[in-house]
Amino acid sequence: MAIETSNQCMSAEQAEALLRTGISCRVDSPEPGKFKVGDRVRAKVVHVPTYTRLPRYVRGKVGTITKDHGVYVFPDTLGMRLDTKPQHVYSVCFAAQELWGAEASAKDTLHIDLFDDHLEPI
Amino acid sequence: MSSHNQQPDADIALRVKAIESLLIEKGIIDPAAIDTIIDAYEHRIGPHNGARIVAKAWVDSEFKQRLLADGTSAIAEMNLTGFSSEHMVVVENTPEVHNLIVCTLCSCYPWAILGLPPTWYKSFAYRSRAVIDPRGVLREFGLEIPEEVAVRVWDSNADLRYLVLPERPVGTETMTESELASLVTRNAMIGTAKVQLPSSPHEQAA
Repeated sequence: MAIETSNQCMSAEQAEALLRTGISCRVDSPEPGKFKVGDRVRAKVVHVPTYTRLPRYVRGKVGTITKDHGVYVFPDTLGMRLDTKPQHVYSVCFAAQELWGAEASAKDTLHIDLFDDHLEPI
Repeated sequence: MSSHNQQPDADIALRVKAIESLLIEKGIIDPAAIDTIIDAYEHRIGPHNGARIVAKAWVDSEFKQRLLADGTSAIAEMNLTGFSSEHMVVVENTPEVHNLIVCTLCSCYPWAILGLPPTWYKSFAYRSRAVIDPRGVLREFGLEIPEEVAVRVWDSNADLRYLVLPERPVGTETMTESELASLVTRNAMIGTAKVQLPSSPHEQAA
């Protein structure tokens, strides 16, 4: 079932309110996440033909959850107006060498926010 | 539509004008709403907001702790949240760590706090190279990061937006909060520059 969006013309007052308050992507949810801080996770290897916030360069790579940001709507499905599918978002830390090989600095890391559906346990 | 550091080529400008005219004609957009948005980004919203946050964190250690623990609520204390800065994470540069922000997906950026993103931030070159070769990219911005300093790249591809808290320069101990804010540049809050004293060698502008 597609999510219908309003086609109403935005007024100047509505534009001002939007700039000041923004649009929250957070969802109040008691659902626990699939992962916790410290967990080692692998970004899924998927090749979806549609929209995704899981970039190709982390797919199949192993990282560590460093923070649970809470529950957010899922852009991969919301982007197609299909479902808000709320789920936990985590900051996941990947060693630069895990992503780019031995030539990368051993000290450097890449941090990216990934959703429950993007990750699998090791 | 106009923005800082951006000179759309004539083709794009014409295309935007044509689309805008059509949308107005069909009643889909209200020109007054567009004017409100443009006016806000030209006059109210910009890197000076981020600079105020940074300067406050430099002089108020309790605020700094709150800012690093929960950027969203600490920034809300200053009434500086807004569109595209709803969920904020602030990362601190130290002598051991240098942070760099990128959005590989598109050009996600804390608009309410830094204004509209510069053209280079949206370029394919920056978005791809910042993750693969951050040290090389920083070198091109005039920043040589010593080997012993860890580089942390933050890809803001989800709905959280990032702000770098740069290091406070040595020699600013007597400066007031507003004097400090005037030193803080947009690039320093993205991580492609350090904050310099006015007298120090001019950094390469991007």
